[in-house]
Amino acid sequence: MGVRVGQQAPDFTAATYHRGEFGSVNLSDHAGKWVLLCFYPGDFTFV
Amino acid sequence: MSAVADRYPELQELGVEVISVSVDSHFVHKMWNDNELSKMVEGGIPFQMASDQNGAVGRAYGVWDESSGVEMRGRFIIDPDGVIQAIEILTPPVGRRIAETIRQIQAFQLVRESGGTRATPAGWMPGDPVLEPGPDLVGRVWEVWNPRMEK
Repeated sequence: MGVRVGQQAPDFTAATYHRGEFGSVNLSDHAGKWVLLCFYPGDFTFV
Repeated sequence: MSAVADRYPELQELGVEVISVSVDSHFVHKMWNDNELSKMVEGGIPFQMASDQNGAVGRAYGVWDESSGVEMRGRFIIDPDGVIQAIEILTPPVGRRIAETIRQIQAFQLVRESGGTRATPAGWMPGDPVLEPGPDLVGRVWEVWNPRMEK
C-alpha cells in the first residue's frame, strides 16, 4: 500500500487534540485548501 | 512538530492547513503539547494533532512501519483538489526542514496559479526567475538558469 505524487490523497477520519479540545478531523474537511500532512514516529520522541 | 508550529502563521498566510499524525492517542497528544511543546512554541501546537492508533492512516499513505508499530516521518503536500504534489519520507532519527517545505509549497502554488504554464528551476526561491516550458525553451535553459544561481 502507499501513494504516489499526482494521485488523490486518501481521505481519513481521526481523533484529534486541538487547542485544548478533543475532536476529530477528516482530510476532506479541508477540501479546497492546501494541506500539509505530517506523520512522525511518536510524541515525546527526541526529534 | 514544534518547528512546524513556529511557522504556522506563515503557512496560514499561504492558505495551508496542517495536520500532524502519530500512533499516540489524543490524550497523549494533549500531554505532549501541554507539558513539552508549549515550552518550545508560544501557545503550543495551533493545528490538529491526529491520532492513528491502529495505523490505518499510515498504511493508506505508505508510512506505517510494521516492525516497530509507528509511522515513519512522512510529509505530504496536498493541493486544493486533494492531489498529492510532494512526498518526503525520512527514518526516525533525522528531522525535517520546514523552510524547505514552505519553499516547495510556494513553488507548487506558483505553478498552480499559472495554470501549469510556469515551472520553477532547481533551488528556486520566491522572487527568482521562473521557466516557461515550451518549444522556445528547448536547449536554451542555460540562458536563463544555471546551478550557480542556487543560493
